[in-house]
Amino acid sequence: MNLDRMKQTYFTETTEVLSEMEHLLLEIEKAPEDEELVNALFRAVHTIKGSSGMFGVKSVESFTHFAENVLDRVRKKEIRLDDELSATLLASHDHITALLELHRQGADDPLDAETAARGADLVARLERHGSDARQKAPAGTAVDAEAPRADTEAGAAESVGVGSVNWHISLRFKRNVYQNGLDPFSFINYLRGMGEIVNCVTVLDGMPPLESMDPELCYLGFEIDFNAETTKEAIENAFEFVRDDCQIRIIPPHSSIDLYKKLIQELPENPMNIGEILIESGTITRAELDAVLAIQSEAVAGDGEPPRIGEIIVEQKIAPREVVEAALEKQKQIRAVEEKNKRSMRIDGEKLDQLINFVGELVTAGENVKQLAAQNGDGDLMESADRMSRLIEEIREGAMNMRMVQIGETFRKFERVVRDLSREQGKEIDLVISGADTELDKTITEKISDPLMHIVRNAIDHGIGTPDARRAQGRPARGVIRLHAYHETGSIVIEVSDDGGGLNRERIRAKAVERGLVTAGQQLSETEILQLIFKPGFSTAEKVTNISGRGVGMDVVKRNIESLRGVVDVESEDGVGTTVRIQLPLTIAIIDGFMFRVGELTHVVPLDMVVECVEFAREDFEGMEGGSFMNLRGSVLPFLSLRDFFREEGEPPARGNVIVVEYARKKAGLVVDKLVGKFQTVIKPMGKVFGNMHWLSGSTIMGTGEVAYILDVPRMIMTIESLAEKEGATV
Amino acid sequence: MDDLKTAEDARKYLTFLIGSEKYGVDIVNVKEIIEYGQVTRVPLAPQSIRGVLNLRGSVVPIVDLSSRFYGYRSTITRLSCIVGVEIEQREERIPIGLLIDALHEVVDIQQENTEQTPGFGAKIRTDFIQGIGKTHGRFVILLNLDRVLDIEELQAEDTGHVTAARAAERTSTRGTARR
Repeated sequence: MNLDRMKQTYFTETTEVLSEMEHLLLEIEKAPEDEELVNALFRAVHTIKGSSGMFGVKSVESFTHFAENVLDRVRKKEIRLDDELSATLLASHDHITALLELHRQGADDPLDAETAARGADLVARLERHGSDARQKAPAGTAVDAEAPRADTEAGAAESVGVGSVNWHISLRFKRNVYQNGLDPFSFINYLRGMGEIVNCVTVLDGMPPLESMDPELCYLGFEIDFNAETTKEAIENAFEFVRDDCQIRIIPPHSSIDLYKKLIQELPENPMNIGEILIESGTITRAELDAVLAIQSEAVAGDGEPPRIGEIIVEQKIAPREVVEAALEKQKQIRAVEEKNKRSMRIDGEKLDQLINFVGELVTAGENVKQLAAQNGDGDLMESADRMSRLIEEIREGAMNMRMVQIGETFRKFERVVRDLSREQGKEIDLVISGADTELDKTITEKISDPLMHIVRNAIDHGIGTPDARRAQGRPARGVIRLHAYHETGSIVIEVSDDGGGLNRERIRAKAVERGLVTAGQQLSETEILQLIFKPGFSTAEKVTNISGRGVGMDVVKRNIESLRGVVDVESEDGVGTTVRIQLPLTIAIIDGFMFRVGELTHVVPLDMVVECVEFAREDFEGMEGGSFMNLRGSVLPFLSLRDFFREEGEPPARGNVIVVEYARKKAGLVVDKLVGKFQTVIKPMGKVFGNMHWLSGSTIMGTGEVAYILDVPRMIMTIESLAEKEGATV
Repeated sequence: MDDLKTAEDARKYLTFLIGSEKYGVDIVNVKEIIEYGQVTRVPLAPQSIRGVLNLRGSVVPIVDLSSRFYGYRSTITRLSCIVGVEIEQREERIPIGLLIDALHEVVDIQQENTEQTPGFGAKIRTDFIQGIGKTHGRFVILLNLDRVLDIEELQAEDTGHVTAARAAERTSTRGTARR
């Protein structure tokens, strides 16, 4: 069960890293020289491979390995990340995504023929890029892997340099070794019990001229090539007794350098310093580290700036540079993870929903206490209820904030869409994103993605022309699509605009007539014509492409957005471009409401849509039943009496109130009986049965346990406008 | 249980009165039974929807079965009850409260004692009826809740309230109520 949850985390994180990978590839296409991007890309791919290996997702791990290899070479500047390779890597990204999904469904072992073939093709392409590199850069990793010791005999050096399968042991005995009763030969002899001594060269560099030589001292050193299936630690242990009287360097066989690197990469991401990482992976031994630390502290005692441990290790030839670098890389990764953990925390969505539900109940209960305290008239109780109320409001805001995410993540998905589709259609289009840090409810980001996709695709498909067509119009060949987000009166606005030719109103009109959506003679305003594109069954694409133009699209977009209590609008200017504007509520769980009564019922509108309230005497409205326009300080405001609209019976009060509401830059007045005031409103869905009641967007439970209705202000405004226009027309 | 066969074939039904007629619903659909109270009217709602009720933090629509079956609103009495049921439509679980005139009992009805829906003579739409069960020598109309509570049909209902005149007219055509 625990493993399941971890696996779930693996899926989530890998999906995130995959989207990061895609983003980086697209960024690199724009800035191919940016090394940081390439490094980040390598890390992303590396992470995918590593965690897939850890969770035994073999299909992903083995495929990603090839991509990682190529990127490793890119990182080392052995090959260039050109357009072709970028395309291959993007395709690889898609393939990994597909493999991950297959694994999630348990269908990746064995792979279906199509996926396997696609994978094989991609591996071949990746390998081709890799082999190109080998020709371009013959001095590959193998040669410069390990620089030979300066004081080593040529033969021994060679066997290290070309990456032999042998261990290389470098021994320098201290002068007093014989005096301590030790015989170097016995240790070398002991090694033969562990493996085969392939080559042993005696180093005589320390030998003084014969006349000054002291036969009781040892001047010898040995360079030994040793072939054995063993660990560094075991070899070191062979020299356990002589450790104090000799310098030992044990260099692992080249074949195990890769092994060490792999071991390092596979270490768990716990906070560790570089020395610990190297010991954990078996690259160095504890004793070696102690020696290095001693050297470091000596250096510190000398002159201020201490050499880095990694540098000492490489300098002292304790471990090859490559392995130390891998360890440093690992350390960087660990730090990145740590930092990320500090910045953010992953919470199960269900837990958060549960918390929000409880907060909702708490808000309701709090309102109840407040009301009872007010009824009671006890001053102290009211004060304390007020204080609690304020705290609850803060808790509510905090809880809602946890659900808020930046829209940037959603926007970034479109980089790939714009790139792929514009290339496919031979168009040159840049995507410009702004307001990516604008926050909104996570649930909404999930649901807005599809509608946005439709709009962006439409802009590519119909909005922006080919470079030739654009040049012919005297415009730059490259088109621009803008994704822009910002906050406005308690809602978030997302604009998708293109700098294409704009919507052709004549063509829209003709098409609408042809499709029987309007009659030929019908009088339509400019705005009304544009609104036709949201009608079901409308499509102006002359040829049906595989992207849009199937006559589904904008009507579906509109429906989806309205189901989120949002509105969508389109503006278009000939030769300038088209802007689709989506306005959405910030959250869909709890809002600040403004409560009022009509007849015996209580209703709520979102507080941030309320502009002002005006009191009036009933006789002012004599003869203006239903909807019409009223004069609000000199400006014309359409209004609607909710009493009439709801067909409430009974005598209206002598004095009423007008609540002026605004949404998407449109205002309207709602005539109500009595204002109640601000109310923290936990939105409760009303259920499908009420699906046809467009004025209703939800309900809420008041402190008393009674139900109040939340009005769908955007729709009410539209209704009021059209009603008022009809009235106005008849006058 | 008398014998194994009965145990296997019997199903439990909750029976209640709508007007003077006795109906039953399969007990597996029933979540709770509460006294009638604090139902809030929804303006402009379909006519069979009596209103909504706050049921432990959820807002649940209340369907007036009298209105749905006979076309006139049920009169609230001390015996009026709400039966909370849950139905599944289009892969969605929907909680609904049924307004009934009086609660009866829970009975075992053996499958062999149920009859097919008669083609005529029923006082309610035949597609609302799943079958006719016999218990204690009396008939119970077993309801097909999926049809009775068809969401799309309820949505599309008239929003106007049934006038007293229309209700009276319906009553007279129904003949004498059994008591």
